[in-house]
Amino acid sequence: MQQFANPTRFLKLANAALPAVWAITAALFAVGLYGALVSAPADYQQGETVRIMFVHVPAAWLALMVYTVMALASIVAIIFRHPLADVAAKTAAPIGAAFCFLALVTGSLWGKPMWGAWWVWDARLTSMFVLLLLYLGYIAIWRAIDQPQRAAMIARIVALAGFINIPIVKFSVDWWNSLHQPASVLRLGGPSIAFSMLWPLLVMGLAYTFLFLALHLVSMRTEIAARKIRQLRIARIGER
Amino acid sequence: MRMIFALIRRDIVLGLRQGGGAGTALGFFLTTVMLLPVGLGPDQALLQRIAPGALWISLLLSVLLSADRIFQQDYDDGTLDLMAMGPTPLELVTLAKCAAHWLSASLPLAIAAPLLGFLINLDPSSILPLTLAMALGSITLSLLAGIGAAVTVGLRRGGLLISLLVLPLYVPVLIFGVSASQSPGAGPDIATPSLLILAALALASLVLAPIASAAALRSYLK
Amino acid sequence: MDFGAPHAGFVIAAYAVSAAVLAALLVATLAQDRLKRRELQDLDSVRHEERR
Repeated sequence: MQQFANPTRFLKLANAALPAVWAITAALFAVGLYGALVSAPADYQQGETVRIMFVHVPAAWLALMVYTVMALASIVAIIFRHPLADVAAKTAAPIGAAFCFLALVTGSLWGKPMWGAWWVWDARLTSMFVLLLLYLGYIAIWRAIDQPQRAAMIARIVALAGFINIPIVKFSVDWWNSLHQPASVLRLGGPSIAFSMLWPLLVMGLAYTFLFLALHLVSMRTEIAARKIRQLRIARIGER
Repeated sequence: MRMIFALIRRDIVLGLRQGGGAGTALGFFLTTVMLLPVGLGPDQALLQRIAPGALWISLLLSVLLSADRIFQQDYDDGTLDLMAMGPTPLELVTLAKCAAHWLSASLPLAIAAPLLGFLINLDPSSILPLTLAMALGSITLSLLAGIGAAVTVGLRRGGLLISLLVLPLYVPVLIFGVSASQSPGAGPDIATPSLLILAALALASLVLAPIASAAALRSYLK
Repeated sequence: MDFGAPHAGFVIAAYAVSAAVLAALLVATLAQDRLKRRELQDLDSVRHEERR
């Protein structure tokens, strides 16, 4: 991990890896979409709408995974003072928020034909909604504080507070719903998911993951450049 | 230890002297509760059904809106700097300040809630569970509000940002708080486990919140 | 996929939204990157100019 500490070193590695990552992403999407739209059968109960699962579930997975990445990066920043950790956390957030938003919208589009309502406050959707608020708050705190060092320190706290909150919220809404609603859980085509639907789901999940990886590496590169620009500008003002 | 009590007493007295504390928060609480029958209509059955949830939501918002008092003044005039340099750990300082906020703002609101419940036809048998749950839950509310206040203390327009940061953290407290406010007769007992979970949340916050608040304050005091 | 099936519109909408949001994210990320890279190059070249 130490080899990524130096930004220049990181940039070299990132730039070398990116073309491969993009290529893999494209390939995974091609295979995944074929699996999702052509190969996978329509569900016995849900018909064609089950295909929404192939864009909803990966988005939800990524929304959670990216927040975890942010939390881990924040921990690394606190404990190891790794210079790129804050950059990693900061740049991951907008990407994660986009996935979270997608999870909500596709969840809603899946819910309407299934439950007849555009929105229900079941445990998963409610937790996703809270997650989106956590993302927005985190992004807002970075933008609200001018000094990058201070912003980084505050952001770490916000990320970790939110991270601890997520399982608690999920638990509480789950419990709340079990009291108030008869079980109306998303059924993915029966008690266990058929392989013909599982493999496109996994491939799409991987496709989304690699897409995040590519976008994250590019964003980190951008952020490093932005910091360099800021330093250069400040230095120039100092020189005059 | 005596420092902490002195600090709590100081904050409470300052809060009382300056106003904008319990009085204003109570006023806000009253207003939000009053808006409900105006907005939803006078249907008594409907109001009774939503009364516990509505009171809890108003409590959350009132606690949150009085939160910036916790650190702002002392940050602005430099007292917080002195406290940070003093013998008491900053974590205990934040704990003391949140305790003062609880005693002077959140707890009075929790006690006033049943009285306001009359306005929205709160079921009388749920008055005791509601007050108990709110007294317990408001501890967590004050501590979490302290985190929000600490994170935004140096910002000029941190008001709305506090809400965005803290309200997601309030969601579990709200859910278990409303469950714990259920009246004893109505259906299976979900009030007791909810109350226990509220207690657990309060204990966890007592430990974790001061750590987070102190860390946030240190970044601003540097 | 059977496009005539009931609720097919929802499926199309879901995939369309996903494509749109991910494409927007892609474009925005790459555009920002290009912008900052240009800025950095400009600043570097100005610095080298001034050194002469």
